[in-house]
Amino acid sequence: MGQYLIRRLLQAIPLLILVSILMFVLLHLLPGGPEAVYDNPELDEAGRAALRASFGLNDPLPIQYLKWIGNALRGNFGVSYATNQAVTDILSQRFPATLELFLSAFALAFIVALILGTASAVRQGTTVDYTITTLAYFGISMPIFLFGLFMQDIFGVSLHWLPTSGTVTLGYIFDPFNAFLDHFLHLVMPMTVLALTFTARWSRYLRAGMIEVTKQDYMRTARAKGVSPGQILLRHALRNAIIPLITVVAIDFGSIAGGATITEGVFNWPGMGLLFINSLEKRDYPVLLTTLLLGAILVIIFNLVADILYGVMDPRIRYS
Amino acid sequence: MDTSEQVNITQEEEDELLQELTPQLAQKRRSQGRIIFDRFLRNRTATMGAIFLIVLFLFCFLGPTLTGHNRPDDVNVTDPFAPPSWQYPFGADDLGRDFFARAMVGGQISLLVGLSSMLVAILLGTGIGAFAGYYGGLVDNLLMRVTDTILAVPLYLLLFVLSASFSNGSPASIIILIAIFGWTTSARLVRGEFLSLKEREFVRAAQTVGARNLRLMFRHILPNALGPIIVNATILVGGNIILESVLSYFGFGIRVPVASWGSMVSTGQGFFDNNPRLVFVPGLLIFFTVLSCNLVGDGLRDALDPHMTER
Repeated sequence: MGQYLIRRLLQAIPLLILVSILMFVLLHLLPGGPEAVYDNPELDEAGRAALRASFGLNDPLPIQYLKWIGNALRGNFGVSYATNQAVTDILSQRFPATLELFLSAFALAFIVALILGTASAVRQGTTVDYTITTLAYFGISMPIFLFGLFMQDIFGVSLHWLPTSGTVTLGYIFDPFNAFLDHFLHLVMPMTVLALTFTARWSRYLRAGMIEVTKQDYMRTARAKGVSPGQILLRHALRNAIIPLITVVAIDFGSIAGGATITEGVFNWPGMGLLFINSLEKRDYPVLLTTLLLGAILVIIFNLVADILYGVMDPRIRYS
Repeated sequence: MDTSEQVNITQEEEDELLQELTPQLAQKRRSQGRIIFDRFLRNRTATMGAIFLIVLFLFCFLGPTLTGHNRPDDVNVTDPFAPPSWQYPFGADDLGRDFFARAMVGGQISLLVGLSSMLVAILLGTGIGAFAGYYGGLVDNLLMRVTDTILAVPLYLLLFVLSASFSNGSPASIIILIAIFGWTTSARLVRGEFLSLKEREFVRAAQTVGARNLRLMFRHILPNALGPIIVNATILVGGNIILESVLSYFGFGIRVPVASWGSMVSTGQGFFDNNPRLVFVPGLLIFFTVLSCNLVGDGLRDALDPHMTER
């Protein structure tokens, strides 16, 4: 197990380095170069050269890269062009909102996918299965922004049940309980919209996994030995089918940096995705690239987590 | 045991027996393509998806010339939000433009981008995957490292940045952008197929006759790996259409005033209360197109699966 872990860690490090190089190259390829925003049209050539020199842009690229990495490893990702705040501060302000949205969406999606996937697999071929499979198809084909707009229209505008944007209702000061309720009501729609795609994919995955597991001989043995169908379902089928599903969930969790962007855009949820879109309009490259880098790091980390989880849950992988 | 038993049947009985057995004996020889086609047709939902896609193609590409609604950009400020009528089958949008024409032109662009980016991505991915899978070793390692690097970066964010910075709103630039980051899944797929197929006997046989590497890869191994590639390609079209519509929705893809389903949804969003059709028409078109692509892809996968018993 230790060997497996070390091997995977060693594979992840070159990947991280490659991704950071990609980000660095991107920073320099973008129009205007890294110093674009500070470019004053009144500057003449000498002034511009001085500007570049002051940013250290006259050093050879590899040196610049090393300096950038050195800064990054110390936690200094530069300063936002738009607000002059440190990028790490801005990101850490926005991260909790995205985390909250993602976690709740994942929890909802996982529970619903468990139920639907199991129901669909157990009643394979029946109307229930057919309905759930159709819904899953709809779920993966539906563009998220469209579904978000539908929900906003139905639940926000027509029924007035739920608020359509933001995290809290502005202009009111609530006591703690009502504040929590207000916040929760704001969370419901974005959470459901984000959960849709995940639910659809995971329930299909679980259904396929369960069907494959129930075909195995050991299931028949358990039944022959007198284990009740319900127990078989929970202790044997689900337990084994859920392993690949959990790895998929872990991998999907890695997309936290960009995965909620559309949802945050539609519902004006102040998370990293919305920050990205706003920064994009202002061409705030330090923020953009640090978010990209952070996103890539999270993806790599969670792929690693998924591999480790798989190794933990399935002993066959460890010893192969 | 008496093995020399004489079977005494009359000529008529023999004829009857032959009659019963003939359907199986004289089964018409079908080509492999024909077999797959028949199996696909047996899948009702997949067939419906395919029919929808064909109709959509005709609607988007032939529609403007056939129906005469070929002026999607004609602003007509005297007639904004006109309700559906004979002259304006889908009504008019906020600037009085013919929504029917815009829907068709938007469809042209979405379908064009979806298909072209799929083609480029598949070509790239198959090439890279083939080389990685066939040669293995260092080449494989290197190519897979590149693939993993690209896969690690959040796709939407990266596309947003690149399209905002480099794209001028032309379909060609969008196609290239989507394809540059879309080849990774098919590369992985093709690599897997090549890794398993290159150990098979027919490869050894071809090698003994003197086939060289490139010829082996593309004349012998690739045709056998075609099945999963085709399935992946179909589903990729749906994914790319969604990608393009998301990019256009946020204003980074096909820029207004060029019609694109995604940007039509985002402009219609502002007028949702009184004119929901401005959002529903392009939105549902996107939805059903992608749904059909997914259904066709799954239908193809079942039709190409050699493990399903032939009926």
